[in-house]
Amino acid sequence: MVDVGNVGIVAISAAFALGCSAFAAAWAEKAIGTAAIGAMAEKEELFGKGLILTVIPETIVIFGLVIAILILGLAGG
Amino acid sequence: MFKATEMSKIVILGPKTEMEKAIKTLYELKVCHVIEHKKIEDLDICSPMEKANDIARILVKIRSICSYLGIDMKLAAKKGEMLGIKELERHVFRLDSELEACLNELKCISSEINEKSGLLKSLEEIKSLDISLDSFYSFETLKYFVGYVKGFENFKKSIPSVTPKFGLQHKQFGKGALIALFVDKAFSDKAAKLLEGFEFRSIDISRLTGIKGKPSAHIGRLAKQISILENKKKEINKKISDIRKQNQDLLILHERFLSEELEKAEAPLKFGSTESSFVISGWLPKKDFNKTAELLNSKTKNKIFIKQMPIEKGDKVPVKLKNPKVIRSFEFFMDLYSLPSYKEIDPTFFIFLTFPLLFGFMLGDMGYGLTTLIVFWLLKKKFPKAKGFFNILIFASLATVFFGALFGEFFGAEELFGWHLPRLISRNPEHELIPLMAFAAIVGVIHVNVGLIIGFINELKAHGFKRAFMEKFGWFFLEAGAALLALSYAKIISISPFAGYALAAIAVIVLFLGEGTKGLVEIPSIFGNILSYLRLMAIGLSSVGLAIVVNDLAKGFFHSGGFLILAGILVLVAGHAINIGVGLLGSFLHALRLHYVEFFTKFYKGGGMPFKPFGAK
Repeated sequence: MVDVGNVGIVAISAAFALGCSAFAAAWAEKAIGTAAIGAMAEKEELFGKGLILTVIPETIVIFGLVIAILILGLAGG
Repeated sequence: MFKATEMSKIVILGPKTEMEKAIKTLYELKVCHVIEHKKIEDLDICSPMEKANDIARILVKIRSICSYLGIDMKLAAKKGEMLGIKELERHVFRLDSELEACLNELKCISSEINEKSGLLKSLEEIKSLDISLDSFYSFETLKYFVGYVKGFENFKKSIPSVTPKFGLQHKQFGKGALIALFVDKAFSDKAAKLLEGFEFRSIDISRLTGIKGKPSAHIGRLAKQISILENKKKEINKKISDIRKQNQDLLILHERFLSEELEKAEAPLKFGSTESSFVISGWLPKKDFNKTAELLNSKTKNKIFIKQMPIEKGDKVPVKLKNPKVIRSFEFFMDLYSLPSYKEIDPTFFIFLTFPLLFGFMLGDMGYGLTTLIVFWLLKKKFPKAKGFFNILIFASLATVFFGALFGEFFGAEELFGWHLPRLISRNPEHELIPLMAFAAIVGVIHVNVGLIIGFINELKAHGFKRAFMEKFGWFFLEAGAALLALSYAKIISISPFAGYALAAIAVIVLFLGEGTKGLVEIPSIFGNILSYLRLMAIGLSSVGLAIVVNDLAKGFFHSGGFLILAGILVLVAGHAINIGVGLLGSFLHALRLHYVEFFTKFYKGGGMPFKPFGAK
């Protein structure tokens, strides 16, 4: 086993926090985006609303990023 | 500014003889939003004016002529003399029959040309065979094949194995040949099979039956005939384009005029009517009422009755936003989402204040701000139609420059030619992330609370103090409680955490009383909303990160010197261009989202009906 040490574990945790939340957001956006495009095919003027709805799950990544930064703070920079 | 234009509900009553004058006046004023009349027992729906039919008929003809001639209706036309309805009708119908004749003739000529050139093509193909056309008669005992084969020598040798009696004319091209093979009908199947083996490709000569003599004799004659027809076609096309040139302005002008006339003539379909009088009900901006009433009375010599009615509960009042010119561009966001209802506060002003700020916080770079400022200013000059949209982006760019100065960034660099840019707070990922995060969260707290206060005012006006207090104040208590708890646990202020718990408990009770279980379920959402503003930091960070990467990459090239300096410049330009593009899209969408999702949900209901005055486009 390679000894990653404390800093290594902190870094991996931060990466997990960001990576998993980004994946979750992407998954959610995929579902919303598909539906939005379907709706747009029926009614073109829904473009604005579709776009807004599609970016809504992006909050999840931001939470992930915040947690990642907090975890990195634990490592003491 | 915060309220939509005040409206009056009006009723106009008058004898049918005055209806046309009334319609004309309203059409010119363009201030009256007519409510469509629903048929009831005493009041039928008014029928359109008599001339509507005539106008519609001419209009349809004009439009069809224009589409034949390929005239673009949106073009500006030179002002010319306007024809009377009768005269116009005669002119338009004459034009139409002229055009139709031309088109018919064109069609005939085209089909004749098609036929002749098909014949010509067949003749050209078999010309080299030097065979008389009389041979292609439909014989009783003979069958003929005309076309191309490959490997002619072999083919020629193998024919006798199929049939003893045959006639063959050919013209060789390399290894293949054009042939005309005549065989007895009894052997035709075998011959066809043999031909298949030599990749036979037949020529269609069905057109040639009945023509006598050698092909070359006909070719010249046909070519001449075709060129005469082509000339005729050109003449007709020229005639059509002459018609178009002469009538374009006239047609466009009259199409516009008639469209308006038709709108007026069909307006009575929205009115109520008795046997001899008409009733219009609608909405007017309150300030326009006196002017409209005076004008209507003077035009109809006081034969018309116009009155303001009280607005009843359940009336759907059309909404016309009323904002100063600078702010009006931001009404774009209301159109995109949904108009506020009549009684609600119009949030356009708040968007005007906060949208550029949130945008600027995210993009925040002096270099990027200046670039986008110039780009959008040029685009605004180029596309005056989308002026409002570009105005928004220009404001946003100015805010970007402002925040760029706060963060001390110029194209991602924090120092220029050795001079360190002054700054209040740094966005460089290496330091000061926590203060930046706190700053973003504070912006969120302020924005969300402004939303709650507007919601409070809305509720106060709509349902009174008690309801407003219950629905909106609970959130304030909750926030204050959470803040107290956080401060006391962090030992920033020395107060027992109990105070915080108490406040939070009061908040929960008030929320439950105000909004029921729904309120309780939504309690976490307010913290989610505020945390959501951390995107202000996050999107900024990603943009700064990319900018720094581009700069470092370019720096590497510059240090290598020589020819690589060019590559460095290319990296800088392309990298920053991409970063600006991504940053613009991201910042715009996320600033918009913060308004629609985090801010509007605190107070906004929307669903207003747009004010569409009669006569306005």
